[in-house]
Amino acid sequence: MVTYPHAQISALNDPTRRAILERLLKGPLPVGELARDFPISRPAISQHLRVLKHAQMVIDRPAGNRRIYELDQRGVDALRAYFDRFWDHALVAFKKAAELRSAKKRA
Amino acid sequence: MSSVADATVKKSITVNAGVKDAFAVFTEGFDTWWPRSHHIGKSPMKEAIIESGVGGRCYTKQEDGTECDWGQVLEWDPPHRFVMAWQITHEWGYQPDLSKSSEVEIRFTAQPGGGTRVDLEHRHFERMGPEGDTMRVGVGGPGGWSGLMDMFKAHVEG
Repeated sequence: MVTYPHAQISALNDPTRRAILERLLKGPLPVGELARDFPISRPAISQHLRVLKHAQMVIDRPAGNRRIYELDQRGVDALRAYFDRFWDHALVAFKKAAELRSAKKRA
Repeated sequence: MSSVADATVKKSITVNAGVKDAFAVFTEGFDTWWPRSHHIGKSPMKEAIIESGVGGRCYTKQEDGTECDWGQVLEWDPPHRFVMAWQITHEWGYQPDLSKSSEVEIRFTAQPGGGTRVDLEHRHFERMGPEGDTMRVGVGGPGGWSGLMDMFKAHVEG
């Protein structure tokens, strides 16, 4: 049973956080460099990173006096599992609709 | 690390309905079963449509009156199979370029006893790689993961 990835979905429901993830797709970055690319304050970036970290979409590690952020495979896997399940969900709905139509014709 | 090719989604389901009915419900009856949360429009989805025939539009009508394309029919062989392009961009909008779109094939096969087996294959996520960079397709890499993100986003944004 694959659980619906609420944390990942709500984390993604924000254009800045999606943009942060797009940047991290290219490789790990210190928070300072991330902040430089966005027209918002560094505390605001840190807040977004906290949300992403909570959703297991990013992980951070210290490097000297900086923190490096990178993608977290766990969040990616959760999304992939959800994505796979999407068609299961849709096809069950399809099955009901097809059988309803078929039953009506036989009635 | 698995590749994006591995991300091809294959699904089968058997329905207690004839091939013609199954095909008709999947296509002209798309709106009767497509999950309401699955669209890329800016306002809630009102109707989901797959137009019949090659070149047919796949789109949703939104409550704000806009229409939102997300694909088109590539192959059409009723009531046995059809293929549709799944046209979603990196910016989670409509991708007009078919060469950058994934695709979905659906096959309908009559079963003994009158049922129909429906086989679905959603493939070619690698085409969605950024700027044609289709070689770096590891799921942990930019192309693959972006592709999955695109799909995911399209599916869940309501």
